[in-house]
Amino acid sequence: MSEPLIQCRSLTRTYTRGTETITPLERLDLDVMPGEFLALMGPSGSGKTTLLNLIAGIDRPTSGTLHIGGIDVGGLSRSRLADWRSRAVGYIFQLYNLVPVLTAYENVELPLLLHRMSGADRHSRVAAALDLVGITDRADHYPRQLSGGQEQRVAIARAIVADPAILVADEPTGDLDKASAAAIMELLGRLSREAGKTLIMVSHDPACAAHAGRILHLDKGRLVEHAAATVGAAGVTT
Amino acid sequence: MIHPRYMPLVLKQLVRQRARTVLTALGVAVAMFLFVTVEALQRGVAAATELTGREVTLVVYRQNRFCPFSSRMPDSYAPRIARIPGVAAVVPMKIVVNNCSASFDTVTFRGVPREKAESITDGFTVVSGSLADWQRRSDAALVGETLALRRGVQTGQTLAAAGVTVYVAAIIRSEDPQDQNVAYVDLPFLQRAATRGGDGIVTQFNVLVDDPARLERVADAIDAEFARDAEPTTTRPEKAFVARAAHDLVQIVGFTEYLGLAALAAVLALVGNAIVLSVQDRVREHAVLQTLGFRSGLIARLIISEGVALCCAGGVLGVAAAVALLHFSRFSLSVEGVNLNVRADPAAAVLGLAVAAGVGVLAGLVPAFQASRREIAASFRAV
Repeated sequence: MSEPLIQCRSLTRTYTRGTETITPLERLDLDVMPGEFLALMGPSGSGKTTLLNLIAGIDRPTSGTLHIGGIDVGGLSRSRLADWRSRAVGYIFQLYNLVPVLTAYENVELPLLLHRMSGADRHSRVAAALDLVGITDRADHYPRQLSGGQEQRVAIARAIVADPAILVADEPTGDLDKASAAAIMELLGRLSREAGKTLIMVSHDPACAAHAGRILHLDKGRLVEHAAATVGAAGVTT
Repeated sequence: MIHPRYMPLVLKQLVRQRARTVLTALGVAVAMFLFVTVEALQRGVAAATELTGREVTLVVYRQNRFCPFSSRMPDSYAPRIARIPGVAAVVPMKIVVNNCSASFDTVTFRGVPREKAESITDGFTVVSGSLADWQRRSDAALVGETLALRRGVQTGQTLAAAGVTVYVAAIIRSEDPQDQNVAYVDLPFLQRAATRGGDGIVTQFNVLVDDPARLERVADAIDAEFARDAEPTTTRPEKAFVARAAHDLVQIVGFTEYLGLAALAAVLALVGNAIVLSVQDRVREHAVLQTLGFRSGLIARLIISEGVALCCAGGVLGVAAAVALLHFSRFSLSVEGVNLNVRADPAAAVLGLAVAAGVGVLAGLVPAFQASRREIAASFRAV
């Protein structure tokens, strides 16, 4: 059996707001295997997004350890953490967060600007990512010219273009209609199954979460329940 | 500062807020126009008044007289000056001006003996007409290019001012701002034509010294020679003479330095404000870029580059406008018969652009620092 890609031990995150101390995540232990599709569920304020942000390296644990691919992510300097994110993680936001002044192509190209590669290499990788998410014909469009579903496809292309091992998605269908949400979930499932990406997704929607191989429920910063899911051709059973 | 592959991102951010960018760039342009104009004014004054250690020309003036109207000396002083050791040449000169106070449109006639023509025409470029024409006619004048353009006169026409009318025999170009703004005429003609003074009376002597190191000694010797005469003299290096004559003007021009600095401070505040507003609008966007792996330092450099691009755009506009205005208007400040050229030389233009870029860097520093220090997760929570 292979080693876990992500290992959290006693992972705790505390914020101070004025005189109040908030602990959205408390002494959490979690292992995520390579290629696993994990869904995080729970009520608002349960710590799902905090855990996602810690795994994505955009937040730091207050205590505990977080090892990803053997690297102590919590111990990296600000610059090294940025470099690590550019290589290892692709982040998919609920509200897409595309840069409005850039075209779909330029948005997808953004992460590659950080890597040493020729313009031709960059072009071929952007074209491949746009093709994979089925949005090649909208490459020259600006975000305002795209539908929500199309914007999220561009955001997914941006997340995968640098070929990271881990994809994190924070309610990726939260702002989409049912049809678009289903298409996006199908795409994410395909990335997990066919491209072998380790996918960690926060969702409030049980139907979306059911696409995952494992569902974790959080409440008040603690893990409360594990559920295994099996993705079927027509639906999901847990 | 940043790799060229990031430049489209920088430029597109500026285009995003078109109205704000255009207004800010126009503000920068106005300020840089003022800065370059002031710089040109100061350079003109410096070129005309600052001694370089290579000066070889002295001006002999009537003691305690400060205007061509009142400085009168007999031209018989010329041979006595010529005998003083170290003197290479003496040119007696009658100066007639239409206005003794500071003015942008002063016409200065300089009367010099025809036999001394070579000593003054050396270094002139004839733009139109000929020196031979000047030698033939008694009322002929060699008119400096700047004066000719300002007065709109051409070769073959007449130029009238201060009660003197001359025939324009040639238009000349010279590196010396004094020559660019005067009309050289035959000395006896000007002595007759001028309403003040008369035959045998000159305003000053221009003395060429054979060695720059002997400049002060020769000046002292000249003043000593005439100390007991009815018309004692004061002798100074030509640039010191100009500096004294234009003393008030030099002080005013010195004060304009503060205007230039104030313009820069205004630009700094203007661009800084524009960038702060722009960065505040993009807290989430910068957090997204950091999430993608952009380092804090790169985010800071992108923001500073926006400031530089904005200032450079405005700077190019302002500097070009200043250069064009100063070139085509051919401003020349005159006082007491001496002239200060106001011209935007390439160095002033380059300085203007460099200062604009520097202001862009400074204006972007604070917002860049703030943006680069924000925590990513906190930025997402805040918006």
